[in-house]
Amino acid sequence: MSQTSSSRLLRWGCVLLPPALLAAGFAWAAGLFSPHRLSTARFMTVLENGGGAAPGFRRAHSKGLCVLGQFDASGAMTAYSSASVFSQSHIPVTGRLALAPPFPHIVDGPGIVRSMALRLQPDHAQEWRTTMNDPPLQPMRDIQDAFASFSANQRDPVTHKPDPRLAKAYEAARPWLKTAYAANRAHVMSSDFANDTFNSLDSFQVTNAQGENHTVRWSMVPLSPPDAPVRPEDAHDPNVLFTHAIASLHQQPLRWNLVVTIANPSDPVNDPSQPWAPTDRTITAGTLTLHSSASEDNSPCGGMVFDPTILPSGLSLSGDPLPALRSAVYMRSFVKRSGEAKDPSSITPAMTQPH
Amino acid sequence: MSSSSSPRGFALSSRLVHWVMAVLILAMLGLGLFIAHSSTTHYVTLLHLHLITGVSLLVLVIVRLLNRFVVPTPELPTDLTTPMRLGAIGAHLALYGLMIAQPLVGWAMLSAGGYPITLGGSVTLPPLIAPDPALWANLRQLHTILAYSFIAVILLHIVAALFHGLIRRDHVLSSMVSGK
Repeated sequence: MSQTSSSRLLRWGCVLLPPALLAAGFAWAAGLFSPHRLSTARFMTVLENGGGAAPGFRRAHSKGLCVLGQFDASGAMTAYSSASVFSQSHIPVTGRLALAPPFPHIVDGPGIVRSMALRLQPDHAQEWRTTMNDPPLQPMRDIQDAFASFSANQRDPVTHKPDPRLAKAYEAARPWLKTAYAANRAHVMSSDFANDTFNSLDSFQVTNAQGENHTVRWSMVPLSPPDAPVRPEDAHDPNVLFTHAIASLHQQPLRWNLVVTIANPSDPVNDPSQPWAPTDRTITAGTLTLHSSASEDNSPCGGMVFDPTILPSGLSLSGDPLPALRSAVYMRSFVKRSGEAKDPSSITPAMTQPH
Repeated sequence: MSSSSSPRGFALSSRLVHWVMAVLILAMLGLGLFIAHSSTTHYVTLLHLHLITGVSLLVLVIVRLLNRFVVPTPELPTDLTTPMRLGAIGAHLALYGLMIAQPLVGWAMLSAGGYPITLGGSVTLPPLIAPDPALWANLRQLHTILAYSFIAVILLHIVAALFHGLIRRDHVLSSMVSGK
């Protein structure tokens, strides 16, 4: 090879090598060299394998009802947080009551995890979105647990049912979740949405006007839970929990107190699977009043995302690893379902009309 | 055939905005790909960084366009073949189009999805358009398509720049590196 042709080759190498390295860097960022990296797409796959991936529906908490109401702050949280949601009254609320499984037409029944999602939009101030479930603790402590847990819920391609051995194996392999499983098994389910307690599960940080930080969890605790009248038709109503919630809202507003628990220094603030000390200080931050309901087919709650990382100034993320995961997975689910044609929900607009 | 009004190299202001934006755009594309393809506890922090950089890039592209119309730019070498000349013009138009479109699509997309756009503390960007779930799904997809197109055109741009500097050995690469 002559001097000139080898130097020409070298120069071509210098032309092509930098863009090739850059392309490799982008490929790394996109996970091409790390097939085992956990990604939102892999979470979506296991979630969809766990349910029907019904087009247009949320990939989890798929069966739900929109609710409307307001939040009135007590003012007691202003010592801990400068967020407007803790100082204003008559804050408009859009929310959603749902069943946690990824099945939009699941038959209501006791023992199914229920959830409450809320969006509080104060006047001229930043909004707050929050999601809460009714079990006391989360049987997962981090992103790896979450992936393993959803994977254990996947339906067998032949039987179309989850393999109970997978769930058992998940639990057995994680002694750190013993407390969470025991607490959730001991939890007595309420008869209805109206008299259920919903828990933030994850921790967040509050900051007051002086710049002092505290870590908190919160719960929506029902006020004067109405008796659930058991009627003969209930036994045959696949939507009994939602029918009751709609009927209750036609009779009277439903109320919950937002009770905020302030962590003490020894609480495991970054582990959502562990309980906090029962002696922790609690603050009643205000009252949620729901006054009406609507089908998610004709209410804004259907086409919105309850991303728990949408927080107003004065309320922020803690070291809890799971809200970040929820935010990413909810966004992917929101993109997918928003681009799909959706069948009518189980809870139709007609069902939410007064009879 | 360099006319008296067109300089041999790019002015300092043009080079500065080119290289600052080059670094930010590469970081932005890498960050975007990483966020979209990994589940990490730092997701919210990284996405916020992506947002802040995107807003900065939108401001910078406005500065760049103003600069482009005010400060004279060097002409392409006269001995370029027509396909190369057209390719160069097309690639630069594509780069400008993507620099303008990508942050606006990001902004419109978050608006359509009903996401509040918080820059920091209580400073928020107003929504560009009203919430619209179907539009949100389309714009989110467009944001991805534009990102991959951006990467492709940038790689081409780098190959072309190095080709000018190392193979053709004309003034094109040095006009943006040293301004000479």
